[in-house]
Amino acid sequence: MNNYSHFQVKDWLDDAAFQRWVYHGEQDGFWIEFVQNNPGQLSNIEQAREILLAVRGELDALPDSEVKLRVSEILNAIPDEKLRALPWWKSNWLKMAAMLLLASGIVTALFREKESLHSLQTFVAGLRDADNADQLEVYNETHAIQLVNLPDGSSVILKKHARISYPAAFAADRRQVTLRGEAFFEVVKNPDQPFFVYAGSMVTKVKGTSFSIKANDEDDNVELVVKTGLVEVSASKDGGKSEISAGKKLILKPNEQVTFNRKSQNMVTKTVQKPILLNLPAESQNFEFRRTPLAEVFAELEKIYGIRIQFDAKTIAHCTLTAKLGDEPVHEKLDLICAVVNARYETHGSSTVVVASEGCE
Amino acid sequence: MKNSERSSETYLITRWQQFCAGDKSAFGELTELNYAVLYHYGTRFTPDRDLIKDCLQDLFLEIWEKRETLSYIAAIKPYLFQSLRNNLIRRIRRQSVFSDIRDDDVEDDISPESDWIVQETDQLTSHRLKQAIDALPKRQKEALYLKYYENLSYEEIATVMGLQRQAVANYLQYGIQKLREYWQHAAIFLALCSEISRY
Repeated sequence: MNNYSHFQVKDWLDDAAFQRWVYHGEQDGFWIEFVQNNPGQLSNIEQAREILLAVRGELDALPDSEVKLRVSEILNAIPDEKLRALPWWKSNWLKMAAMLLLASGIVTALFREKESLHSLQTFVAGLRDADNADQLEVYNETHAIQLVNLPDGSSVILKKHARISYPAAFAADRRQVTLRGEAFFEVVKNPDQPFFVYAGSMVTKVKGTSFSIKANDEDDNVELVVKTGLVEVSASKDGGKSEISAGKKLILKPNEQVTFNRKSQNMVTKTVQKPILLNLPAESQNFEFRRTPLAEVFAELEKIYGIRIQFDAKTIAHCTLTAKLGDEPVHEKLDLICAVVNARYETHGSSTVVVASEGCE
Repeated sequence: MKNSERSSETYLITRWQQFCAGDKSAFGELTELNYAVLYHYGTRFTPDRDLIKDCLQDLFLEIWEKRETLSYIAAIKPYLFQSLRNNLIRRIRRQSVFSDIRDDDVEDDISPESDWIVQETDQLTSHRLKQAIDALPKRQKEALYLKYYENLSYEEIATVMGLQRQAVANYLQYGIQKLREYWQHAAIFLALCSEISRY
């Protein structure tokens, strides 16, 4: 039937059926019988089996249920294609409802009297104005981190798959942004124009601080940790832009973390040793420099904000920085640095900064 | 057996092409079919299970993102193994920078917690074999694992590990030779023991 009787150890090692028996227990009956009937091969088989098992080593138990769970996590993490394109009728339930209402209004109105067409046009125009025509959205699809400079100069570091939407110009009395995913904020101080972050039915209100938020769609909880300043969190009534509900409200100090449950709207706080939620360099950097060569400072900023800083290495070769920068957004930090080392800077696009210096002889 | 293997391979290739065309259910199935083998392969590099799972998630999301460019791939398993290997080694290196582990540790030594441990049966033989396999250079162990446990061909192993085919052949030959020597030592030792105990 086969030439197994002449097999050497090496032959056994390479035999596919034998391997399947050793590794997966296939055709166990056949092999047990074979060993019994071929005592001469016993030692070769034993040796080959030991070697194959040694080569494999120990394997973790990985139940199918866990594999299924991981696979579904992966499938859920696929960014929604539809959201990327944001067709008008899918962008927002409220908008859709408004459209339906409007459409039925148009039909009724047209039915009633044809002259009303003109007034309808004005109505539609008015609606469009109210509907945040200048809302911008940034979605970090590909980079490990991506810096977003908000209209007021505040910095947001988006982690991969995070998205933020904000108006092209903030309202006079408030700055309002919506976040999905994970991001670190450095907010320009302006007590007259509080800064609101809407993330997964949690509202965060600050006046000028730095903090991290984790608001992934697939998680039941939204988390926030404060690096500097004070932060106020509360539940938003409908996950939308409504006023903060009067009920639960918490004030958080540096190194305090809140876990907000989307469903129950429960908030649990704890104090952490370090304000690290997203493993971003920005969370742990304290921005203290002592006679640090400027090129190193720039390298640090590049790493933290995921930006590129272009400069002439020769002219700044003698420049060093001694400064304690805090939670200012990246542009304020650059202002401070440039003031100290007698330089100017320009931004090109959202992620490139060009520094011109006269040197520090 | 050969037949069913071939037909399942044809099936996988069909599913792969469907996935490249944007079929999410084909993607889900391929992910599920390959998850465990890739995970076990990952345990060869690090004891950090969370890191492996992270890397696997990144890997699959990445291939989903660039699915349109992947239809040329015929050898799916080696492609996945190679991608995971590159990702893992990169991430382990990056981690070790932060945790002050020497960079060479990653390439040259498998940490003691990781999994080249032999189980059961004859304890002494197993023990000797474990020592033997632990004593092998990391890349030899890896080549042996891919050859015998994962059934990859020399060419495929060469692709996965970024080596020449001849280097793979050498690794395998040397590795097996070493293991057999150890096994024989152990067997002789055992025989001696039983001789002694007889008197």
